[in-house]
Amino acid sequence: MLTKTQTVDGAAIKKAIETRDGKTLSSFYTDDALVRVIDRNNPPSKPREIRGRAAITTFWDDICSRAMTHKVDTTIADGNSLAFTQACAYPDGTKVFAAAMLELKNGQIARQTVVQAWDE
Amino acid sequence: MRPIETRYARSGEVRIAYQVVGQGSFDLVFVPGFISNLDLHWEDEGYTRLLRRLSAFSRLILFDKRGTGLSDRVDAHHLPSLETRMDDVRAVMDAAGSGRAALLGASEGAPMAMLFAATYPERTRALALYGGYAHFHKWVMSPERLDAFIATAETAWGTGATLPNFAPGRVDDTHFSTWWARFERLSASPTAAAALARMNAGIDVRDILGAISAPTLLIHRRNDVRVDPEASRFLAKKIPNARLVEIAGRDHPVWTGDVDRVADLIEEFLTGQPAVADTERVLAALLVTRISDTAKLGDRMWLERSQRFQESWRLLVGRHGGRAVGTHGELMISRFDGPARAVRCAATLREAAQQIGVASAQGVHVGEIEARGPPVGLTARVAMQLANHAGRGDILASRLVADLAVGSGLHFVDAGRVSLGELDEPLPVVHATSEQHLEPACRSKSKPAEPAVLTARESEVVNLIADGKSNAAIAAELRLSEHTVKRHVANILLKLDLPSRAAAAAFSARHAGPDGP
Repeated sequence: MLTKTQTVDGAAIKKAIETRDGKTLSSFYTDDALVRVIDRNNPPSKPREIRGRAAITTFWDDICSRAMTHKVDTTIADGNSLAFTQACAYPDGTKVFAAAMLELKNGQIARQTVVQAWDE
Repeated sequence: MRPIETRYARSGEVRIAYQVVGQGSFDLVFVPGFISNLDLHWEDEGYTRLLRRLSAFSRLILFDKRGTGLSDRVDAHHLPSLETRMDDVRAVMDAAGSGRAALLGASEGAPMAMLFAATYPERTRALALYGGYAHFHKWVMSPERLDAFIATAETAWGTGATLPNFAPGRVDDTHFSTWWARFERLSASPTAAAALARMNAGIDVRDILGAISAPTLLIHRRNDVRVDPEASRFLAKKIPNARLVEIAGRDHPVWTGDVDRVADLIEEFLTGQPAVADTERVLAALLVTRISDTAKLGDRMWLERSQRFQESWRLLVGRHGGRAVGTHGELMISRFDGPARAVRCAATLREAAQQIGVASAQGVHVGEIEARGPPVGLTARVAMQLANHAGRGDILASRLVADLAVGSGLHFVDAGRVSLGELDEPLPVVHATSEQHLEPACRSKSKPAEPAVLTARESEVVNLIADGKSNAAIAAELRLSEHTVKRHVANILLKLDLPSRAAAAAFSARHAGPDGP
């Protein structure tokens, strides 16, 4: 495998998210990982699904290309499960808050569900 | 929901107005065409629909190009180059905190978006170009036609005179053509419009097409009246990673015509997922309002009055929580969430028609319609036929409407059955009568009704009401069915604008004369 496998833990995720390091973030996922996003536009019965590392890389590249601040506050690890909350803000002050649940497989993220809400 | 905020980015010495809508995971910058006005876009249904669709899957960044809308004006004697104007996109992206974005360039916005993609490949996620071109004179207007266009702009700017050049399909839509005239006035002054047209005439980006590396989607309407579809075919050949989709239609602005088709294509291209086929059907109440010139007013006066009525119609439909969905000549169709709202709106429309001096007849029906687009199915056709069957001043509704409006305080009178070609069985119908509040919550001070408006039969009935007789007793006395008497009573209350039988009795007493009321 070409990608350097880095052990995923709360501290690594916190660092990558807060420094908007999309490349490192993408490397945390398994090749066939699934990220599901639930928010106002993507309701629980029809969440947005991002499948596979390529799509997930694009997803993180998009997020990280924004001049936003991200702060990962709470990280909880329990065996192969990981959870964290994330408070973000756009330059204009609009806030986004997200909570994520992750399932790990061999030290990589295999499945992630993000629930997010924003100012509007 | 927070109102959409308009902010200003600084591009050199010039301030560029922009708005950010939506929370998708990637940014999409909309580079508009000839003229724009950020505030005014949200007042047009098609524009709003387009922006809502796009901002459902992206963080949509909108701006007015320099010289237009809410942005600073340009010096007509020192027109900025396309490069300078293109750099406004970068300035807006910087201000909105967007490092990388997909660009949607529409019409004149397309060459700007292409130039941006070639200049800042690392900041261009993808390129969607609608009705675009690389060379103005070749695909939009020859120098002679441009001169004529500028002459029109200089003499008749702000009147909507340019509409036929852009959206001939909407010329007969009075509401839209009025909006377009405001759109002209609020987007540019006559001098600015002429300057913009001259600026655009200089567009030629043919040399940079090969340098565009972003995945590109080209969309062009096959019979576009403003920009020759050959323009996009040329782009498809020259831009390395481009795909062209030609769609039906002739109206040029991206927010006119089949907006959903355009939004579907862009969504699928940018998200990699087909837009969720929205063939959903929803239950809705449709109100069809038909007006006619029974007073033989003559064309001119009729036109004035029917236009006035259409304005009131839009206003009242909105006020009752409905949506004005379309007009077919003197037929106006509106859509409501529930039948009671539709009927209440119909009652106020009837009043409005009376005040304006046009005859109205209305039909209400409930049924499933396509969630998207104008209602065209069976439900709509039934509602239209009911409006055609309805007599002057009547609100004819299917029985279903009355059944669903139980408890709403509305009153309906059985009106038999109507045979409609498309339905196997005749449709049971009812007449909606005035609400019978003891004290109407809101009643306009209308002129006291003259007894003369009652027919001879109605006068008889109102006298008998004044005698304290029940409907059954009146029916027996006049040798009518009780149903017919009810109908007369309803009509009397309607004509005299009275809330109850008691009020009709009092009216009769007041107006008693040798010949009765």
